[in-house]
Amino acid sequence: MTIADTRPFAQPRPVAGDRRAKARALRMALIIVLGLTMLMGLGWGAAGETDVIGALLAKFGIGEVSRVDMTVVWDIRMPRVLTGALVGAALAVAGAVMQGLFRNPLADPGLVGVSAGAGFGAVAAIVLGGLLPLALQNLVGAYLIPLAAFSGGWVSTIVLYKIATRGGRTSVATMLLAGIALGALTGALTGFIVYKATDDQLRDLTFWGMGSVAGATWAKLLTAGPIIALALVTAPFLARSLDALALGEAVASHMGIDTQKMKRIAILSVAGSVGASVAITGGIGFIGIVVPHLLRLIQGPEHRNLLPNAALLGAIMLLLADMVSRLAVAPAELPIGIVTACLGGPFFLWILLKNRALLEN
Amino acid sequence: MLVASEITVQFGTRKVLDRVNFSARAGEVTAIVGPNGSGKTTLLRAMTGEQDFTGDVSLDGVPLHHLSALDLAQRRAVLPQSGNIAFPFTVLELVRLGLTAGLSTGRADGLDHLPQAALARVGLEGFEGRMAQELSGGERQRVQLARVLVQIWEPVLDGHPRWLILDEPVSALDIGHQLTVMEIARDYAQRGGGVIAVMHDLNLTAMFADRVTLLSEGQLRADGTPEEVLTDAALSASYGCTVRTNTAPPTGGPWILPQASAAHPDL
Repeated sequence: MTIADTRPFAQPRPVAGDRRAKARALRMALIIVLGLTMLMGLGWGAAGETDVIGALLAKFGIGEVSRVDMTVVWDIRMPRVLTGALVGAALAVAGAVMQGLFRNPLADPGLVGVSAGAGFGAVAAIVLGGLLPLALQNLVGAYLIPLAAFSGGWVSTIVLYKIATRGGRTSVATMLLAGIALGALTGALTGFIVYKATDDQLRDLTFWGMGSVAGATWAKLLTAGPIIALALVTAPFLARSLDALALGEAVASHMGIDTQKMKRIAILSVAGSVGASVAITGGIGFIGIVVPHLLRLIQGPEHRNLLPNAALLGAIMLLLADMVSRLAVAPAELPIGIVTACLGGPFFLWILLKNRALLEN
Repeated sequence: MLVASEITVQFGTRKVLDRVNFSARAGEVTAIVGPNGSGKTTLLRAMTGEQDFTGDVSLDGVPLHHLSALDLAQRRAVLPQSGNIAFPFTVLELVRLGLTAGLSTGRADGLDHLPQAALARVGLEGFEGRMAQELSGGERQRVQLARVLVQIWEPVLDGHPRWLILDEPVSALDIGHQLTVMEIARDYAQRGGGVIAVMHDLNLTAMFADRVTLLSEGQLRADGTPEEVLTDAALSASYGCTVRTNTAPPTGGPWILPQASAAHPDL
């Protein structure tokens, strides 16, 4: 005798090969870790006596703390932590989008010259911005540097894509080599402008070139933040197209994707994230390649989960790197770009060795 | 009905297709055959929009270029000859990509079971968790077919037939799976859909196609039923070798056998 299943709704059974549940669980874990990391970043002081929780609550009229604590938490550390989280998220998502666009796990804005292009834009704006007509200066105001960096990144991405892609296929070797050439060219142009800079500008530029969140202020955050936020909000809408694109441009188009349109949006999103990030923190490398790669190993390559989780993990990684940069040579600070490069360089080599077959054909 | 008229494709000064006319009806399997370099795949690509051409292609009376990628994706699915997969998708994740167009139009609601049904249909039950990049060529071809089937699972949608366009769907398969795939194609046509397949195997073509188009050197040589097209004269002339057609024992359809040239006496 068999007993009929009389339950009104059968419970969905887990299916082999379905990594979505894992990705969702990971997302919850990452949200919690990010919260804790941000709190830790806020509390990270020389003596550690600052009452962070008190200062956070005091802002909303709950309890009271000293004015020094309020200033330290709200005016110094808060913009720094938010900048770190936002830029980390932006770089990781830009890496994931770019890898999807190029159909290639080795694409990274820092490696293929997009950051260099954005850097050129930013340096040009810092040094030559004063030469612009006053009316224009007043019009764009503080947005000049982010906009210039965005334009530099945008042009670099388009040029790179045009060079590396033929008939819908992207060659890894061409992409990396074109990236080197593009990076060298924009680097030379940047160098030329730096040569023309005044001593004051030079100090800014050097520090900025190595990447740092130490100079974060509310003002900088408010200029670059909206661009990054826009790029982060746009990215999930690309998820389905990026998945389809993994099978090739022709196949994606047969699956109903308007590939021209999605490529344009993807390039704008990458340029927006990278340009705005470079404008406020300088060149911070490797987040864009390490984070998506780790996530693909754990939860698979589906972009609907990869993109949000990359944003979270990218934020966490950059905040942790920032803490290392403050700890390594305390009480002085190491530029964060040096920390991410020390960790990311070997990681990149490891990916490269694992994917050697990719490069050889 | 899918109609391609006066299709000309030129690579440089060479005409790969020269004013070829082709049509396929819903409810039938239409095969495109011909020797290597005859323009089979180019004709298919012109019809799927992957290849620039002069001439006209229309789907049920609507010129192809009037339909958006999304409209087209709901009315026809294309199985490419081969293709690499950029990221480590599992088989299930890959087949689920077949729902892409449906998700964009809200028609995929409640179709979550389709990927697994399609995998079972192509004989890949239990492969859901395997990495698609690590499968054999034949398995990967069937995974792609499952994805394509998911895209246009019902052969008729809103009264319109849907089209399954296959570029050498059995090239990497053993004889057992060749039959599985061709039976899927025939079943799709019998349930009201249209199937167009570029084929190399003339015997499979004779067994499963309702209509055959024979191309050679970029030109249409013959088109009609397998009995009309797969003849000694037409095949011998097109393929440049002696071909003898017999009658296959069980079905009575044509049975094609190429003849080896006479053994060289010195060997």
